[in-house]
Amino acid sequence: MEGSLKRINEAVQKAALQARGHSLRMRRKRDPTRPSAKWVASARVGREQGTALAIVLSTIGCAHARSDSGGCTMCSYLLDGVQEPPTSDQIVAQFRFAMTALESNKAPLSVKIYTSGSFLDDEEIPSEARFEILKIIAEDERIREVVLESRPEYVNESILSGIRQVLGDRTVEIGMGLESASDVIRSVCINKNFDLQMFKDALKIAKNYNIGIRAYVLLKPPLLTERDALLDAISTVQQARALGVTTISLNPVTVQKDTLVEKLWIKGKYRPPWLWSILKVLREASSVSDKWMKIVCDPVAGGKRRGAHNCGKCDAAIMDAIRQFSLSQDPVVLKHLSCDCLSQWEHILKHEDFSLVVHR
Amino acid sequence: MLISLPFVSQFDDLPLTNIRDHDSVILPSLISLAAIATDASELVFEYQHEILSRIKSTIDSSRTIIRVPSEANPESISKLAETGAHGAAFSFNGQLGSQDYNAIDLRSHLPLFMMAFAVGRIEPGLIPLLHYTGFDIIDIGHAQESASNGLRLWKNGAEKIEIGKECRYCSCPSCTKLDIAKPEDLQGILLDHNLSIYRSIISESREAMSTGRLRWLVESSTHNSPAHASLVRLVNRELYTFIEEFSPTTGPDALPVIGSESYNAPVVRRFREYVASRYSVRDDKPIILLLPCSARKPYSDSKSHKRFNAVIESAMSGLESRVAQVILTSPLGLVPRELERIYPAGQYDIPVTGDWDTEEIKIGANALVTHLKKFSSRSVVIAHVSGGYLDIVRAAESEIEQSLIYTTPEDRATSRESLDALQESLIELKEILSISRGPRTELEEIVSATADYQFGPGAGKALVPEHAKLRGKPYKLILCSVDGEQVCSYVAENGILSLTLAGGRLLAPLNRYWVRLDVPKVKGGSIFAVGVQEADYLIRPGDEVIVVNGSAEVIAVGRSEMSGREMCELKRGRAVSVRHKKE
Repeated sequence: MEGSLKRINEAVQKAALQARGHSLRMRRKRDPTRPSAKWVASARVGREQGTALAIVLSTIGCAHARSDSGGCTMCSYLLDGVQEPPTSDQIVAQFRFAMTALESNKAPLSVKIYTSGSFLDDEEIPSEARFEILKIIAEDERIREVVLESRPEYVNESILSGIRQVLGDRTVEIGMGLESASDVIRSVCINKNFDLQMFKDALKIAKNYNIGIRAYVLLKPPLLTERDALLDAISTVQQARALGVTTISLNPVTVQKDTLVEKLWIKGKYRPPWLWSILKVLREASSVSDKWMKIVCDPVAGGKRRGAHNCGKCDAAIMDAIRQFSLSQDPVVLKHLSCDCLSQWEHILKHEDFSLVVHR
Repeated sequence: MLISLPFVSQFDDLPLTNIRDHDSVILPSLISLAAIATDASELVFEYQHEILSRIKSTIDSSRTIIRVPSEANPESISKLAETGAHGAAFSFNGQLGSQDYNAIDLRSHLPLFMMAFAVGRIEPGLIPLLHYTGFDIIDIGHAQESASNGLRLWKNGAEKIEIGKECRYCSCPSCTKLDIAKPEDLQGILLDHNLSIYRSIISESREAMSTGRLRWLVESSTHNSPAHASLVRLVNRELYTFIEEFSPTTGPDALPVIGSESYNAPVVRRFREYVASRYSVRDDKPIILLLPCSARKPYSDSKSHKRFNAVIESAMSGLESRVAQVILTSPLGLVPRELERIYPAGQYDIPVTGDWDTEEIKIGANALVTHLKKFSSRSVVIAHVSGGYLDIVRAAESEIEQSLIYTTPEDRATSRESLDALQESLIELKEILSISRGPRTELEEIVSATADYQFGPGAGKALVPEHAKLRGKPYKLILCSVDGEQVCSYVAENGILSLTLAGGRLLAPLNRYWVRLDVPKVKGGSIFAVGVQEADYLIRPGDEVIVVNGSAEVIAVGRSEMSGREMCELKRGRAVSVRHKKE
């Protein structure tokens, strides 16, 4: 990237850092032995219906978000973390506590470990804590699927071989925030701070250990119109499929606290994506997936002002369809949805591009 | 066609192949980029400059339009001329708040030769104001946005339409289908209706523009909504110099001046300023007579002023010229009798209930104080006024140096008692001040005051020197000759002077209202902007101007068709309609 786009990138970085402000130092004190969040939901595990436990470990948070490069323009997940890094024992205690939620559930189970950062980053999760957690999983026969989360720079041979060894033949996926397949959009609009090549490298290493990649695809970063955002998400899904990711997780932007997105949103200069856009991306994704790649989407704050939303009348029905599709992978559930606001969205796809005035 | 290029992450991906030779191209940018930091709008320009240099082999920069974010700095707008682009697009969010005001403000800084586009959410009611502030092309995408929201637009608002529910009557052909419409047809019907509303308001606005009533249309749109009113007021207050520069000095036969929005309308405020700064008084005016205005214009054609004149004539018996007549009015402040026919004094039309608000009284009092300071303090002021006019004099009284006589105590100025009191006062003053002789100077005064008003201080003395010969009748045609050569004529219909070449030569040393060409002589009846080398920035459309060549020789006189700055900066358009030229 060169010329004016480079300078735009620098300005975005500065603005992202500024939006973060003092929020980092203002993080609440938490019990270091409890996770930030956990929830259980029915989910597709392999080819069966099963139960998934999602855990958000409380850590010091994403290294990129903590750094001087400002973190991503839409993300303040690290605010869920803590100021003082928890000890390995404390992190393992968080995990054990979360696992109690699965006590009465039957196989197949899926466990997703989120950290608001990178599970593979030693600074965030010391390696002894990581392997202790993996061992607990390995001892539980009900767990058939494990999803971990990391930025690509922490994905390397030694960590992955260790993971594969401990988890045996379980399905393992590493979630990575590809966000956009375009290096320009990923850096200028998102400030993600890695390029497509790093993602490809990580994917290749993972493949060697039969570890799948769950690509997070962002829908509507700031500075893009609804139409450009839609086109970018579709093209990202297509490229991710071509690279051989195992799952697409479509993440419509939510207006999170102390982010550049929130700053723009307050000024009326950003609107979270329309649910129609999500449907469109899911339909496209479904048609390219060839039933081979899994596609999931769970819009945070969907139907609400800060999340992806439509006019208010149709939001619940469409959110339902999105959830159903994530479970069943059946594109039929995405069809036959309609509302008066559909034409409004169609107008916006055209007119927002022409005028570059945010249509709310 | 107008084409907008999308943002692409690789310059090579720009879809340039579908663009035809005559298409105009709006350059791409990132939405909301200017909002991320205080100086980020510079990045918006930088990015577009880079695009410009990348695409120039395919698309000439003269076909491109630069996007201007409303956060931009006015100085960067003035610099847009360097890009070679032929226009700029300003964005409106439709809330009529600071972003929309900024867009208009930024537009006022755009180099004159560039086209101004208004894009975004633009309601029909905003169009007259946009035309008034010089936008050439207006985005009506809001017609479709509203239709898709089930809204039917009107001139000043919107109406939610639901099938089967009662709605406003509309005569447009698409709305006649509304009664029997199926739900799936509704949007198309609303879109057609909305587009026709835009069409009708654009045509109304254009018609108002060509008849000189656009300002009135803008003022009458003030009550669309409080936000709209704030925007109009802000534009009036902050962009006065921009708008005044393009406001003609001639206008329609009747200029409606209805509400408080008119108090500082450019032609109104300019009149007050010209009278204050350009009108000079003679020293043979021992009596200053303040009179009320009349509904009928010009004043001297009205019944009331005919009666005042009769009283003055009978009281002064041949010495009428010793009385300076000053007509108090709102919102022009005051009008010296000699200028009663000049635009807009001879054409303005106000509601005449005589109820004036505080601001009007303040405007009037200020004008009166300034005006009376020009007279000798030994002169005597007769205030033959009542009601609101009297309030003006009372408000000014403490700052008036002259003695003041009121001739209409608690009565109308036209009542028998008042007129008698006026007559008595004039006769008494004539004796007390021993006014017994002096020439009739009415013709000289009219021509000289008009010259000062049109061309600034000193013009009256130059055109009407002591030995000038004047022929004609007051407020009819007056011809003024110097050394046997006609220099100008006063035309009662519009109260202004038309110059001859000789008159132009007399005024040339004042160094005002000149247009310089780099040709020795003028050919044809028009001078086009492209041929103008330089022009006086004082020139407004409608002004009488003096055309000179490179050796400062007066080669023509005529009427300007644009402002002096436009003559310098525009490459096309008629600058001057020639009246007389050197053969």
